[in-house]
Formats: sequence, C-alpha cells, structure tokens
Amino acid sequence: MYAIIDCDNCFVSCERVFRPDLEGKPVVVLSNNDGCVVARSNEAKKLGIKEGTPYFKLADEFPGVKIEALSSNYTLYGDMSARIMAIVRMYAPRVEVYSIDECFCDLAGMDQTVNLKQWGEELAARIRKWVGMPVSIGIADTKTLAKVASRYAKTYAGYNKCCVIDSDSKRRKALGAFPVAKVWGIGRAYDARLASLGIRNALELADKPEGWIRMLFPLPFENTWRELNGVSCIDTTEVNTKKSICTSRSFPGMITDRESLRTHISNYACRCAEKLRRQHTVCNIVTVFIATNWFRKDLEWYQGMMNVTLHTASSSTTDLVAAASGALDRLYREGLSYKRAGVIVSGITPDSAVQLDLFLSDEERRKRLDSISRTADSINRRMGTETLVLAAQQYPADPKTGKAPHFKDAILHNLRTPCYTTNLQDIISVK
Amino acid sequence: MSPFCYICRVMDEVELLSADLTHTLSLPYANGGIRAGFPSPAQDYLEEALDLNQELIANPMATFYGRVKGDSMIDAGVESGDILVIDRSIEPESGDMIVGYLDGEFTLKYVDLSLKDTGVIWLVPANSSYPRIKITPERDFRIWGVVSYTIKKRINHI
Repeated sequence: MYAIIDCDNCFVSCERVFRPDLEGKPVVVLSNNDGCVVARSNEAKKLGIKEGTPYFKLADEFPGVKIEALSSNYTLYGDMSARIMAIVRMYAPRVEVYSIDECFCDLAGMDQTVNLKQWGEELAARIRKWVGMPVSIGIADTKTLAKVASRYAKTYAGYNKCCVIDSDSKRRKALGAFPVAKVWGIGRAYDARLASLGIRNALELADKPEGWIRMLFPLPFENTWRELNGVSCIDTTEVNTKKSICTSRSFPGMITDRESLRTHISNYACRCAEKLRRQHTVCNIVTVFIATNWFRKDLEWYQGMMNVTLHTASSSTTDLVAAASGALDRLYREGLSYKRAGVIVSGITPDSAVQLDLFLSDEERRKRLDSISRTADSINRRMGTETLVLAAQQYPADPKTGKAPHFKDAILHNLRTPCYTTNLQDIISVK
Repeated sequence: MSPFCYICRVMDEVELLSADLTHTLSLPYANGGIRAGFPSPAQDYLEEALDLNQELIANPMATFYGRVKGDSMIDAGVESGDILVIDRSIEPESGDMIVGYLDGEFTLKYVDLSLKDTGVIWLVPANSSYPRIKITPERDFRIWGVVSYTIKKRINHI
C-alpha cells in the first residue's frame, strides 16, 4: 500500500500558521516579483480566482472583494515543509518527498500490523498540531489511487483527513465519482480526447480493456490505467535526481540596457553553480533566455533562448558566468524592454567523473577554479550570502547608501511576510 | 495564459532537495589527536561539548520562537525583548505559560484549565495591573503553543 500526504493549500496554510487572522478569508500567494497567483485559499478558489491570474488583474476581475495577497516566502515554506517531512519520517520507513507540499510513503509490510485508517488520521492530526499545517492523506494500492483517495480526504470532512481505498468495491465507488481529468498524470491534455471517446469518470477509463488503451494512448498513459486498476507501476524516485537547475526572475521594472541584463544573468548563473556544487554535480549545458513583457501588447514582443555547451563539464562560477554572458551577447537586441531572464543548466553529472576535453582542457585551471568556487562558498556560508561575488554579479551602488544591493533584495516582494522560523529578527511577537 | 506564467511557476526559486536521512556515516574520531608518545590522561573523560539546542529543544519539528512585547508577565520574570521557546507538541496543563491567539494577536499568559469541562478557560497574567481573561467557547481563541523556556539577554554592551 502507498500513502500520499498532501498539504492543503500549502503556501496559504503556512502563512496562516503565523497569521491566524487570515483564516476564513480569501488569500492568495503570488509568484516572485508579485507576478501572478500561485496559491489560493479555499475561499479564494470559491470566488473563482484561477491559478496563474496576474496580480494586477485581480482588482479588475473581482471589484469590491477584499482579497489578501501575499508575496511568496519560500524560506518559510521550505522550513515548514522540512518539518512536515520529518514528522512523516517518524511514521513510515520509506518516504519519497515528491514536491514541497507532498510526499509518498511506501507502506509495504505495515498494512498487516497497523490499522492504516487510524495511522493516517493520527499522522494528519499530529502534523496539524505540531506545525499547524492541514494535510490530507490518501492510502491505496497504487500511488495514482492514493492520489484519488487524498482528494476525497481533502473534499469531504467526514473522512477526518484520511481516506483509505482498500477493497475493490471501494476502488470502483471512488473512481466512479471521480472526473477523469483530475486523475494524476492525465490532466487537460487528454481531457478532450477522453471526452470524445465517451469517458467522463475514472472508472469508465479503468474498465477499458488493455488492448484498447494501448492502441489509443502512449505508454505513460497505460501506466496510469494500470495503476487505476490497482497494479503499482509508477516510480517517482527519479524526480529526486535533478535533471536541470533553473534560476530565473521577472524584473520589478523593465530593463533595456545590456549591462544591467548581464548583471542579472551573472547572478542567475552563479546561483546555478552554487546549487550544482551543493549536490556535488557538474553540468555541460548552459541555457540562457531573455524575454520582454508578454502582457504589454503595446510593446514589441521578443523571446530569445540559447544553449552553450561547455567543453568540460563544470560547476565553477567563473565558467558558468562566462558561458551565460557570451550567450547574452548573442541574444540581446537593442531597443527592447526586457521583463524576464533566466539561466538553466542541464546535462548534469556527478562531479566525481568529469570527462575532460582531449584538446582544450587544462586540468590545472579546472582544479584552481574549483577550489576558488568552494572557498567562496564556504566564506559565503560563514559570513552570509553574497559576501564574496564576482565583479560581474555586482549591482550598481545605490546613490543614497553607496552600497550595492544584494541579489536577493533585487526582486520585488512588497507583500512578503517575515521569515518567522528562520530569522531571529522575524519571529512572532507575543504580547 | 502566458507561456511564461507556466515557466515562472516551475522556475521560481523553490529548491527541493531531499535529504537522505536514512544513512549515517560515523567517522572514527581520535579525541586526543594521534601522536607518538604518552596519550593525554584526560582523553577517557572527554565528552561532546554541551549543545543548548539539544538541551532546550525537545522537539525541533514543533518548536518555534517568539519575542515578548509588553509587560503582562513581568512578575514571572518575562519582559519585553525576551525570547520564547514555544513547543507546539506539548499538551498544555493548568499553570503552563502559553502563547495563545486572541482577538487578532498573540498573547502570553498562564493558562488555567480547571474549568475546561464547563467550556471556560482562564488566561492569567503575571502582573497585578492586568485582569484575568475569561475565554468562553464563543470567543475566537486558540492555544498556539506551550512556552518551554524563556531566554533573556543580560548584557547590553555586546
């Protein structure tokens, strides 16, 4: 049996732990730079606010409604998530963290000795009490069915936050009332096609013969079909190895000149390099993209993307910044107002097995750069992030203070709540 | 929806790294260093340095911090600026110092649960100029956590 532990409206619920006054109100959390809605409370969903709605449109689309909008506070969400996952690990031996707000547990061996319904209810109650996060738990023979169960647990209070599908009759009943488009892994892409085939609920799909599925749909879909019939075959462990790392931002304003863009791109490349080093990997493809504002129909729209292949895989800040900077020169077009840019690194392999280039590599240089980067990491860890940066990463000094702003302050988060759990200056105040 | 809305969701900086907590690697540790000659006679008596995190935080998963603002608990030795170690996993008992949420703010009081069966909870300040607060089921109140330690800074010139 598998269990999924899924946080209810994770980001909003994190905020509500420290702002109980937000309970019962429509609350949305916005993406970086307060761009668009990425999380909604149940009240906000009920109003009809859709995920992805640009923040600036909220007031027009919902006139006269008081909607609490908050900047995303990923430091807080990350800490709360880590606490929740640690509690789950007390309850199950094999836990796969699937995303910031959900994890799977493999309950093999436990189903014989433990009453799983009780187990799930107790776990949900404990997470609620210890961390303040409401979670819904679904338990079933496969991950896909567990997902279905968790949705029932989320929707109907009668389940007491935990729904178990442990018999064929329960499986059929649950799938019969479950819209097929909501099945994990199906989504909107197949929705229209399934509808045209007369399939509306998940049971109608599960009951189709295997040959029929195989004829009409690709393999991942077939796995989903199998899971709906109680045969476990979706392995989620691979999501844990990162295949690419991306750092991207939209800018608070618009950027037109090449050098400001370069400063941003250099910082993104540096972030990627740090992340590579932290997981002891190197990359050999650096991708840079820049784009203008899609919402400004009055301005010329442009989106450019370029890959740079490194001769020798690297995680050195110097190498990545140089590659990204070179790509920017090729992409940059004069006279446009840029709104968003990013750096993606891929082709990620362990740093223990770097393939050197036969003609171009300079092993000494590589080792030296590597050691510089690691030294910078350790200084930045001890003295605070961005104590030591490349000159290319430096933002122009603020004329008032004479100080160059830090990367992390260069994004807009006007509506951000304090980092209640990770910064002593930000802890809750108690009267 | 803009193609970038989707990208921004995926690419915003949430970094998900799953820690592998299932394996530990203990390294041999030569307490007195390795040298030729006579070993330190104190070596057998050395222990790990005291770690206040371990002593004061029984349950890190459920522990949060708060800062005191106000003087309602002054007679208990708790004053503005003190740091509270709040453990949400502790089941409150009468006499515990708790952080509650009442009328839109966090409040620090002793809790009296002796009349809980009748639906009444009393919040008791440690300052004679403040009244006790009667909490009835109609009021929007919840106990947020139990204070396990208070930390007070005693020096002002560092």
